[in-house]
Amino acid sequence: MKTVRRLWLLAITATLAGCSSQPRGPNTSMYQYRDTRDLVSFVWKAAEFLREYGLEGIHDLRENREEYRTPDYYLYVYDMRGNALFHAGMPYLEGRNMGQMEDHRGRNIQNMISSALQDSGNPHGWVHYSWWEPEGFYPVPKSSCHFLVLTCGGDSLIVGGGMDYPHEEREFIRILVDNAADRILEQGIRVLETIADPASAYSYRDVKVFVFTEDTVLVSPVLEGGGVNLSLMSATDTAGNRPFAMAVEKLEGDAGVWQVFLARDRYRRMPEKKILYLRRVVSAGDTLYLGAVTDMPEAP
Amino acid sequence: MKDGKRAGFSYGVEQVPPPKHLVVLAVQHVLLMFVSLSLPIIFAAQMGATPAVTMSIISFSMLAAGIGSILQSLRLRFIGSGYLCPNVCGPSYFSLSLSAAWAGGMPLMRGMIILAGLVEMFLAPVVQKLKRVFPSYIVGLVVAMVGVSIIKSSVASLFGLGFRGDSVGGAGVTVGFFSLLVMVLANLWGRGFLKMYCLLTGMAAGWIAALIFMPESRFSLSSFDHVPVFALPRMPWGAFSISFRWDLLLPFTVIAVSGSLKSFGNLLAAQRIARPEAKEMNFRPIRNGLLTDGFSTALAGFFGAMAVDTSSSNVGLAGSTGVLSRWIATCAGAIFCLLAFLPRLSAIIARMPKPVLGASMIFAGCFMIVTGLRAMFREKWDQRRTFVVGIALFMGLSTGFLPELYARAPGFIQSFFTDPLPTAVIVAVVMNQVVNLDTLIWNRSAGEDHEGG
Repeated sequence: MKTVRRLWLLAITATLAGCSSQPRGPNTSMYQYRDTRDLVSFVWKAAEFLREYGLEGIHDLRENREEYRTPDYYLYVYDMRGNALFHAGMPYLEGRNMGQMEDHRGRNIQNMISSALQDSGNPHGWVHYSWWEPEGFYPVPKSSCHFLVLTCGGDSLIVGGGMDYPHEEREFIRILVDNAADRILEQGIRVLETIADPASAYSYRDVKVFVFTEDTVLVSPVLEGGGVNLSLMSATDTAGNRPFAMAVEKLEGDAGVWQVFLARDRYRRMPEKKILYLRRVVSAGDTLYLGAVTDMPEAP
Repeated sequence: MKDGKRAGFSYGVEQVPPPKHLVVLAVQHVLLMFVSLSLPIIFAAQMGATPAVTMSIISFSMLAAGIGSILQSLRLRFIGSGYLCPNVCGPSYFSLSLSAAWAGGMPLMRGMIILAGLVEMFLAPVVQKLKRVFPSYIVGLVVAMVGVSIIKSSVASLFGLGFRGDSVGGAGVTVGFFSLLVMVLANLWGRGFLKMYCLLTGMAAGWIAALIFMPESRFSLSSFDHVPVFALPRMPWGAFSISFRWDLLLPFTVIAVSGSLKSFGNLLAAQRIARPEAKEMNFRPIRNGLLTDGFSTALAGFFGAMAVDTSSSNVGLAGSTGVLSRWIATCAGAIFCLLAFLPRLSAIIARMPKPVLGASMIFAGCFMIVTGLRAMFREKWDQRRTFVVGIALFMGLSTGFLPELYARAPGFIQSFFTDPLPTAVIVAVVMNQVVNLDTLIWNRSAGEDHEGG
């Protein structure tokens, strides 16, 4: 009985210690997948290391290159002019200027990273793009997170890490839709042109930020649906629900809402769950709805 | 044996443990019951429910399961099996409940779960007439399949896997196996209370290890400020907002039959553990147990909670520890009801690391599988039984291995081939009749000859 009591005392002490101590590290609770959380923590740790040791720390990274590369992701460090100071995945890029690097849609990756780091609603600096693996065949989809580091020596560095074939996190669409909503509030509806551009940061993989009013669609949610006259408020999913109308009904104030719905999977031909994130903004007296749709994670 | 005491067992079915042990043993079962609370949490997330609605669904699910557990432990004329067989949220109802909630919101989900509960109650008296349909080797198969049916969820949890395609962390796997090892060794080498509380000890050891080696488990415990300490469960969907749809009646009836079969297996296992020497099943407590299960399901529907079901893991735990007192289920049910009003405490318990939960389910599932297999092979085996059990296993397990195949199969196959347990039971029962047709005909014609001669 004494042993059991001792064990229980230890359990309670450890639990209380766990509850009371604030763990050090980035808040990753908004991510659904462990892979994403691990990547953010991995890049954050490297960023903290460089914050403390500055450019001297780069030598340490190079000497322990294998620690900064896993089968799922790797670390890279750029200066503010786009020069690659460290690249765990492709060391031959070190010393090169990456400022003109574009993805397969012609988007400048450095510009996307800079914009992401300036967005207060994107605390982990996410950007999404595709690249060609050396000697690969298909473009590789990638999501990368970044931290801007001001080192002890006064240098500014961009510390990033990317994951090939990433999971579709709902946080990714939240960031894009909120960013688009903020830009409309600041600059008005002329931003719609940028949002509609498939080469902008508002489109990646199968995700596209779209905009509609109660009467008309201003930016279509369908990638190749420019000529289709969609009525989103009356559109139904495979269960017969009206996800857009339901989401609009749930909106209160300027907070976004989430709405789950069913759509048939293109490859497996079975209904799969999708999630819609919707925001409302009022610009020049017009009420606009901004949204994006992504996949829901599946149970194991 | 009348007092329920059993040689070699710590507490027999009728024995009431001293209050202190009663509470600790009940807590051990409550922790295992918490595993099923992931269902209402996932359900609410899939529905895009607000935090208030999520809390209501969880609280009412706990209340329904708690009341169901108390009723199941009673031994009244028509209610309660009188075994340690608590209620938890039923996984078999999950996907259909979600479909109903999508098609017609909470009112439709409530209505269809109430109907399913009534179907289960209607089926309960029929079970008594099924002695010929369930020979003891099929009963053994049912019990084994109850354990088999939790393999997928328990192993996924042991490896800490949240979603398909995600990575598995080495620390989580280590914690899971460590926790499982502590449970097993405490059960095998422990004496007295350590043996009795083997699951609790393993869970505590696993949780401590997780706090040390898994940073996310420390994060998950770091903030509960937004969760109230005490809250009365509320029905944001309206107390009498209930609807029905005819086209959902058949799928819900099929799931109700499956749910009844699963509970039938659990109750049989509970009975076999309580009366291992018995040669024949006692159908009365099983009938009452199924009636209670149906009532609890209907009650859950009325509350707007997830449908409830008897818990295989808890029956397995009872078997592995030898602590069978039904009063533990009464106390566990009461604690579960109490926790429905204490959301902060429930939230803390619900953050138990997944690998530890997985270890608990595997620990309990081992006993179910082996109890079933032993019961199955207790009697003389023949070629007919080989085909009945073999084909039932092939078909039953295939629903777990090939879900995509069944998703595209014709409707009547989809209706009956849902999960390993109900599929294996249906195939075994049908095959048992088919392979014994010749003996049936021979016996009948022999009887007619005898009458004529």
